[in-house]
Amino acid sequence: MTLLAYSRPFWPLFLHVLGAMTLFGAVLTAVITSLAAWRRPDLAFLRKATFWALVSGIPDYIVLRVFAGIIQSDEGLKHDLPSWLKLGQSIADGGLLVFLAAIGVSYWWLRSGKPLAGRIAAGLSSVYLVLLAVAWLAMSGKWG
Amino acid sequence: MTTVQWLLMLHVTAAFFFVGGSVAAAILNTLAVRAARPSETAYLLRLVRVTLPVIGVGVAGTLIFGIWLWHEQHFSLGAAWIWISLVLWVLANALGGIGGRHQEKARKLAERLAAAGDATTDELRALLRDRKGNAISWLAGVATVGILVLMIWRPGS
Repeated sequence: MTLLAYSRPFWPLFLHVLGAMTLFGAVLTAVITSLAAWRRPDLAFLRKATFWALVSGIPDYIVLRVFAGIIQSDEGLKHDLPSWLKLGQSIADGGLLVFLAAIGVSYWWLRSGKPLAGRIAAGLSSVYLVLLAVAWLAMSGKWG
Repeated sequence: MTTVQWLLMLHVTAAFFFVGGSVAAAILNTLAVRAARPSETAYLLRLVRVTLPVIGVGVAGTLIFGIWLWHEQHFSLGAAWIWISLVLWVLANALGGIGGRHQEKARKLAERLAAAGDATTDELRALLRDRKGNAISWLAGVATVGILVLMIWRPGS
């Protein structure tokens, strides 16, 4: 499986990894700004910053997921997937719900200014950041 | 897990910190440039500092685990893609440092303006939109993406 990882065509793997890294950066920004707003809920521009940081992660997620699918299809990986791939796929698909919920709540926070919404947005963004870390650890370390 | 798998996992994790931290710094910088008031610009540029430990761990980790992997995987000492990556690594750090100093200059001016009525000036606008300063930061990003290209492509290996 490690050999398989090294023999993949360049572009799909490059774009998959680049999408994942930039998505991590976008979510990290949202975590930083939403946690900063936890201490300073009066700073309205932090709500805007959190929302736009998360929105900027949408194209990154699409690139990550589309090229993951292309790699999987090119390599004929449909059944008996290795554990690391199953985990990565579950996080990409299941984690999307957390990511979309974070965007939705940050929009609610942007419109309402309620500190509770900001705290939920911070929590969801942090959970998604951890999920992304588990996915890359599993996939790069070929867990299982 | 084998030693190589461990090293690869740590090397990739460091790369996520390096690239992800840089992306976060770039997003915060972009938001700071577009902010309406100097106090907002100053606050967002202060938040860029939070990303520095993340980038630092990534920068150190990519080098340490990368060189260790070079040894463990018995890549040739003359592997051009590794040497070019090292040159790009130095370049990305040097340019990132220069770009960071430019941001610090803008942050200090924004803080002074925030304390004196919070009205923006042409000087701050010019500093935030300075082509040379921004080009240096973008070039650091291009060098970082160049490393990623070489790490995945591995020409000649």
